[in-house]
Amino acid sequence: MIKTWELDANFRNEIMNEPGGEHLSACFQCSTCTIGCPIAEIVPSYNPRKIIQMSLLGMREDVLSNPDLWICAICQTCTARCPQDVRISDLLAAIRRIAEKEEEAGKLKVDSVRPLFEKAFLHQLEKYGRLFDMGLAMEYYKGKEGGSFIKGQLAMMKDFKDFGMRMFKKGKMGPKAMFPEKVKKKEEIEKIFEKVGEKEK
Amino acid sequence: MGIAIIGGGVAGITAALDLADSGFKVYLIEKNAELGGKMAELAECKTGLSPKIVEIENHPNIELLLSSELESLSGSAGEFKLNVSGNEIEAESVVLAPGYDVFDEIPKSYAIANPDVVTSLEFEGMLRSATASETGELLRPSDGKRVKKIGFIQCIGSRCQENEICSTACCAYTAKEAWEVKERYPDMDVCVFYMDIRVFGKDEELAAELKDKYGVKYIRSRVPEVIPENGALSVKFENLEKGTIDKLDLDMVVLAVGLLPSKTLSRLAEITGVKTDKYGYIETSITNPLETNVEGLFACGTATAPMKVRESVAQASGAALKAALLSERTEMIPGQEERKYVEAGEEPKIGVFICGCEGEVRDCVDIPAVAERVSQLKDGVFVNSETNTMEEAMEAIESGIVDQGLNRIVFAGYTPRKYEDTVRDRCAKAGLNPYLMEMVNLREQCAWVHEPKEATESAAGLIAMAVERARYLEEIPVERYPVIPKALVIGGGVSGMNAALGIADAGYEVYLVEKEPELGGSLREEIGLQSGEKSSDVLTEFVDKVSSNERINVYTNAKVEDVTGRAGSFKAKIAGEGANEDIDFGACIIATGTDESVPEGYYGYGKDKNVVTQPEFGKMLGGTLSANTVVMIQDVGPDGGVNPKYGSIELMNNVLKAKEKNPDLNVFVLYQDIKTYGKWEVLYKEAREKGVIFLRYDKDKPPKYEDGIVSVHDVILNDEIQIKPDLLVLSTPAMPAEENERLSKMFKIPLKNGFFLEAQERPKMKLTPVDTVNEGVFICGSAVYPALIDECIAMSSAAASRACVLLAKDFLETPAVTSVVDELICSGCGVCVDMCPVEAIELTEEPVPVVTFGVATVIGGTKRIAKVNDGCMGCGSCASYCPSGAMSLKHFRDKQVYAQLDYAV
Amino acid sequence: MSEKKLAYYPGCPSATTAIEQDMSTKAVFEKLGIELSEMEDWNCCGAAEAEDPILVYALNARNLAIAEKDGLDIVTPCSICYYNLARTDKALREDEGLRAEMKDIDSSLEYKGTIKPKHILDVLVNEIGMDELSGKVEKKVNVKVAPYYGCYIGRPSETAFDDPDDPDLMDRLIELIGGENVQFSSMKTKCCGGPLMMTREDIAFEMARKVLESAKNAGADCIALACPLCGMMLDAKQPDIEKKLDIKVEMPVVYISQLLGLALGIAPGKLGLNKNVVSTKEILGKVI
Repeated sequence: MIKTWELDANFRNEIMNEPGGEHLSACFQCSTCTIGCPIAEIVPSYNPRKIIQMSLLGMREDVLSNPDLWICAICQTCTARCPQDVRISDLLAAIRRIAEKEEEAGKLKVDSVRPLFEKAFLHQLEKYGRLFDMGLAMEYYKGKEGGSFIKGQLAMMKDFKDFGMRMFKKGKMGPKAMFPEKVKKKEEIEKIFEKVGEKEK
Repeated sequence: MGIAIIGGGVAGITAALDLADSGFKVYLIEKNAELGGKMAELAECKTGLSPKIVEIENHPNIELLLSSELESLSGSAGEFKLNVSGNEIEAESVVLAPGYDVFDEIPKSYAIANPDVVTSLEFEGMLRSATASETGELLRPSDGKRVKKIGFIQCIGSRCQENEICSTACCAYTAKEAWEVKERYPDMDVCVFYMDIRVFGKDEELAAELKDKYGVKYIRSRVPEVIPENGALSVKFENLEKGTIDKLDLDMVVLAVGLLPSKTLSRLAEITGVKTDKYGYIETSITNPLETNVEGLFACGTATAPMKVRESVAQASGAALKAALLSERTEMIPGQEERKYVEAGEEPKIGVFICGCEGEVRDCVDIPAVAERVSQLKDGVFVNSETNTMEEAMEAIESGIVDQGLNRIVFAGYTPRKYEDTVRDRCAKAGLNPYLMEMVNLREQCAWVHEPKEATESAAGLIAMAVERARYLEEIPVERYPVIPKALVIGGGVSGMNAALGIADAGYEVYLVEKEPELGGSLREEIGLQSGEKSSDVLTEFVDKVSSNERINVYTNAKVEDVTGRAGSFKAKIAGEGANEDIDFGACIIATGTDESVPEGYYGYGKDKNVVTQPEFGKMLGGTLSANTVVMIQDVGPDGGVNPKYGSIELMNNVLKAKEKNPDLNVFVLYQDIKTYGKWEVLYKEAREKGVIFLRYDKDKPPKYEDGIVSVHDVILNDEIQIKPDLLVLSTPAMPAEENERLSKMFKIPLKNGFFLEAQERPKMKLTPVDTVNEGVFICGSAVYPALIDECIAMSSAAASRACVLLAKDFLETPAVTSVVDELICSGCGVCVDMCPVEAIELTEEPVPVVTFGVATVIGGTKRIAKVNDGCMGCGSCASYCPSGAMSLKHFRDKQVYAQLDYAV
Repeated sequence: MSEKKLAYYPGCPSATTAIEQDMSTKAVFEKLGIELSEMEDWNCCGAAEAEDPILVYALNARNLAIAEKDGLDIVTPCSICYYNLARTDKALREDEGLRAEMKDIDSSLEYKGTIKPKHILDVLVNEIGMDELSGKVEKKVNVKVAPYYGCYIGRPSETAFDDPDDPDLMDRLIELIGGENVQFSSMKTKCCGGPLMMTREDIAFEMARKVLESAKNAGADCIALACPLCGMMLDAKQPDIEKKLDIKVEMPVVYISQLLGLALGIAPGKLGLNKNVVSTKEILGKVI
């Protein structure tokens, strides 16, 4: 039972003001996105169409706390096929960013490790301008294990022992890979993160 | 000069015939080598369209330019000069009917390379060849196996980024195809994947029947892909009830492809200077749906918007009338020339003409063998079996009559249902009484239904039977009566006024009868039209034009009574306040419109002042709107009406105006199907963008309204949703005008759901949307089906056009095949009087001569005998029921029929 | 192709997990006589992890601006890098305000839109062209290939350069070099699960399994692809997928540049064919 007067009618505007979320209201609930979705094939509860209808109705809490928000593989199949150009991949990313902000503000607990991973990834970029696999893995696992560096390293070793050896043998994770490749003009990258970060706020 | 028509599809053909039949010179220009356009590709339609094509090919007033294209146009209305593939043509006006093209950028995700995935047009072809095949089975193209499961996917290339608007016709043609499949193969599993079922009137009934009676599964999902897998075509859809993505394996998939403007249209627009809209269609307006921006250039059919055949045909007739008003009648109307019939003589000289029917008969029936057998019939008959087309056959018959003195004709080939009039007319032209001709249908009754050997056998037999009958055919006098060049229009709404103006402008006097004190019909309500115009402005324009037209006699507060007569010569009485006038007229148009429905008792309407109807809400929008939350419910009762075609459009229109007034207004629309067909789809999109929430409910679970709370089970979310509205707006059906019942009886035109029925009912043919079973009486506008103002205007112009075709004639022929009484035998029992469906027989007291022993003795006294009146339409009911054999039907005399039967047994 | 020089955007995995793609790309272009000039001081495109479009635009505006200074079109062997570069290029071309916004962040982000970012597959087939390539083919690579395109090549439409549902650029290359394309059309453009590898391994593995097993069932000798994330998922992770899901596929996975390189007669070592995780030995045996 949904009582519309208890919902947040402004939620749709909140999404539509977020870059990528602009086309939300064009949706006419045809199911194209969900029928062709490779994730929905594997996870039956996953239904982007429903997430959109709930967003339109203003079911802010239900949408933002929905764990399925975090399992989109951004493969763009839905975006490519949507007859109304809703750009669902971008739209879900916009909703995810709203959820992350809510979490940062302490108003919501996101039920996924994906924000941790993305943050760790972007953190590498911010520091080096390029991806540093090792650094990413260490930071991500530390976060996953509640901030404990040691626990994180142990968990990472467990998950990636075989993989690491395999890559090492192939010369893809040699000593060189222990150190990050860095952009020379570091200040330019720093500026990007600094300014875009400001805009986000 | 004359009128040029560009496009030889169903619209062009219709316009050409209307004009040519009223005595205008017509140039019909078609880019292909054949007439028929897209419609000729449709399984059912080709058969229906061919007689019209034959008519065009033989029409003295039509110059046909095939494989020709317009290259340039100069001059202005009244004096256009056209260059058509090198030919110079002068025309006073031009009708543009270039038709449509189908969407051809189908995504490869639909496995279009797979032979078992076909477009709807291709499927029509398959249905046609299945009919013609030996087993009649529908076989899978890939492996020739019987199709057991078939799926139709709608909206391919419509309502999408590539083609923003709705193609209007696909829901109906898909329903028709599904129906045809189920009729022929009842065991086949048929499912239709749809977003909204946008069907109206008869199509709406058909779709409902498909679901309820035929077991066709309508599944709401826009299926994005077809996956060929293990020899089947797999499609996935969302099962909204269970919340799962389900898979269905099908043997065949039909893609219901959308309509696009004809590819030739952009060049045509460039040449003619006609403006096109942003979708590429010719731009017209809601109050002038047939007129382009260039004076003297008119547009019709799918060149103006995607539409169905019925609407295309109506527009074409309407555009023909508009074009005619700028042109001068210069030609003779066929059939109006003086005709003299040669005395046929007692001795039958029979000619049998066997036609190959463009191979359709020749390929199956061994014609030389049949000819051989027929020529051996007793007393000798002349046989011609050389012809292969209708035109060749007609020439052969004419020469047979004129040069060889044949006086009985048997024509074997095409169906009499469509061609009898053509053949009769040709006989008459050649000087033979048209009723000395007999037809045998070799196509439908032999070639299409039998193996070659049986077909040949059957053809020979049927022809021989016809020859035996022909021996006894009699000349039936053909009598003519003058056409009264005046029309009666019933209903003074926009349709009636527009029809009256059309006829009056064509030069005929019109009686316009309105039951209310004022003209205007539903336009009298002060509302904003979808085009942005105000109804009052449109109304004023119409009323001014009508009242200043000298040829239109307006009667308000009046009604029509006591109608008698037939096409071309009717009589009636106009009764009302201050008026009591006997009138006569040649044609009548019924344009009674609709009555507004009052949903008393629905959702507290009538008791709760916050519950209003959609038209009432529309009026409220003229003032201030204080509500914060509005709930609109579509498809609310009461029973007894029909869902108007404009239901969803009226709703969107009101929603958008309300949002304009109060952008923060919360609007919830509770619907079953959103039916914003054609270009109106953009209103739906705009409403969504403005923040309107759409919740879909199931027919079996209508929303509830209790204690100020609306509860609805939204099938989209599969959850109960509650809303507290300040205002509840109900979309209700349109009710038929109250007087329809009375007019139906008086004019003998059947009603369905209270609305007038076209001459040809669905799902077969729809080439006569304004004609009725009563010749000379036409119907239009919301009296037929409640529609938007543009459609009412197009349709009423069409009705006016059809009426003018009739009024343009100087005289008509009385029906020749009627019943006659043998007064000597009639016992006056009166069975025939009861049987007659048109009340054309009465009992009279007549003095009776009695013959006794060869000596005539007149005994004083009278006897009751039956008398057949003018109204007889030749159905033969009386003849078959007459217990004494006194009643007989001309052309179907006992001796004629028995001769035919005797040969058979 | 008139231009004989291109700016090369290798992408982050070029030095590590996708080193064989980097090696083979360079070798192929060298053989074709087209100079690849690695962009000076390029930065990461943000991959799939930068979800804020403004951040993506900023990161890629910098890269685009670098190539623009040299007046060179960019070629990249990575589908995600291509998508980020291309959507940024499109957004900046169309939106003056956005260009100003970028410039406002830093002058190094000033991009005028005078060059074009391109995917290696697009460059090979549509720029260099089949005619030129066929003239340079020296050997027949007689393998049955499952051509796997994944995402971003045919979708979304504004940056796509091949059909969204049935792309064929890679198919054409495989035919050109004497290979055979197996029936694979339903899987060609399905996502490999790569972006979920670290956060939802269960889903990602399941997605990869479908691709791998389809290729195997179709009788392919190998999968060919053109994206390092797909390579990571389907090749480097293949033993993990096999172990976790208790299946056996042993499906060699190679970059299309590696296959093309073989046909052009380049030594396997130079194409990094010893770097692929699943052994490519059997493929080498089919080069004649």
